[in-house]
Amino acid sequence: MASNKIPQDPHGFDPEIRQIEQEIVEFFAEKSLEFIGRHPIIAIVMAYFDIRRSLTQQDLQDLTGFSAGTISKSVRQLVDMNVVTKETIPGTHKHIYRMEKLPFTSARYFGGTGKLVEEMEKELKEMKETLDNHAEEMKDLKGYRKIYTTITQLLELISTAPMFMALIDEEVGKFIKENK
Amino acid sequence: MENSKPRLIEKKLRTVEKRLVDLLTKAGYLKGRSRKFSEITAHIYIHQEVTQKLLRKLTGYSLGTISTTLQTLEKQGLVRRHSDPDTHEYHYELDGTVSQTLFRSLGDVQRYLYQMKEFFRGIEAKLGHPHLSRKKGYENIRQFLDEFNVIVPAHERVFQRFQTVVSDAKAKREVQ
Repeated sequence: MASNKIPQDPHGFDPEIRQIEQEIVEFFAEKSLEFIGRHPIIAIVMAYFDIRRSLTQQDLQDLTGFSAGTISKSVRQLVDMNVVTKETIPGTHKHIYRMEKLPFTSARYFGGTGKLVEEMEKELKEMKETLDNHAEEMKDLKGYRKIYTTITQLLELISTAPMFMALIDEEVGKFIKENK
Repeated sequence: MENSKPRLIEKKLRTVEKRLVDLLTKAGYLKGRSRKFSEITAHIYIHQEVTQKLLRKLTGYSLGTISTTLQTLEKQGLVRRHSDPDTHEYHYELDGTVSQTLFRSLGDVQRYLYQMKEFFRGIEAKLGHPHLSRKKGYENIRQFLDEFNVIVPAHERVFQRFQTVVSDAKAKREVQ
């Protein structure tokens, strides 16, 4: 965390509850990086959304002690990830960011992942086609073989995505629907 | 004019390489990684073996950023470090093929889910003190735990089943 001092709580959480929340946030900051490579700042901001659901950039600054620039960049990334939505607070120029559902149970989040996989497949196929069409001329160029191998292996991995999404639907789909 | 075609072909290949790096960087960013971390990882996937100097040349990032990222990747088991006996420079080698490393990361997710479950047990115990139930913020933590307690085992089943299906398909291909 950027600061040891606990500033005023934007939602008035009790200090003992705040202490438990802090432990959860620190767990995600450490373990997300270790296991899934997620940036600790993103993990911290996301954990506050997991618990509090609606936050302004000022709330996040107060909770984390991070600078306005860091928070602005983080919430933009969470919006891009389909984890939170951005709304204008009526009558003001301020924004509030909301996590409607946990990403694990969010149709919006899984929809974003599905779209990303589709885009990746399309782009990778186009790249492979370019390399196949110029194979004779390119084959001795530096890096050709490695680039080709990376693309074909990624395409192979992506071909398993529908199976993965079907399992998500079977095991997690009911929670997504219940939360709709 | 005679040189223009090979140059064009070289340019085409570099364009594909850049597109590939951009695509992998975007995918990493959309999963919560930093752009720098994702871009460095993308170059490692393609080059398979890199040095800090090469990554600096490819990305333009500072040696500090590159070194920190490589330390994290080494800790995650994505790269292996060895020293060149002649130059004493460290080389970072992708530990397996791209497919192998990405499939291996499924195991990391399973370990992550397991640790999450263990950690939440401790949090449940702390939250169980009766005097806390009337405190402001209690309901938020309660709801968070209730949802995670259901959804984490469901995701564990997804990853277990997916790994089984993939391993079975691989074994089948090897037999054929």
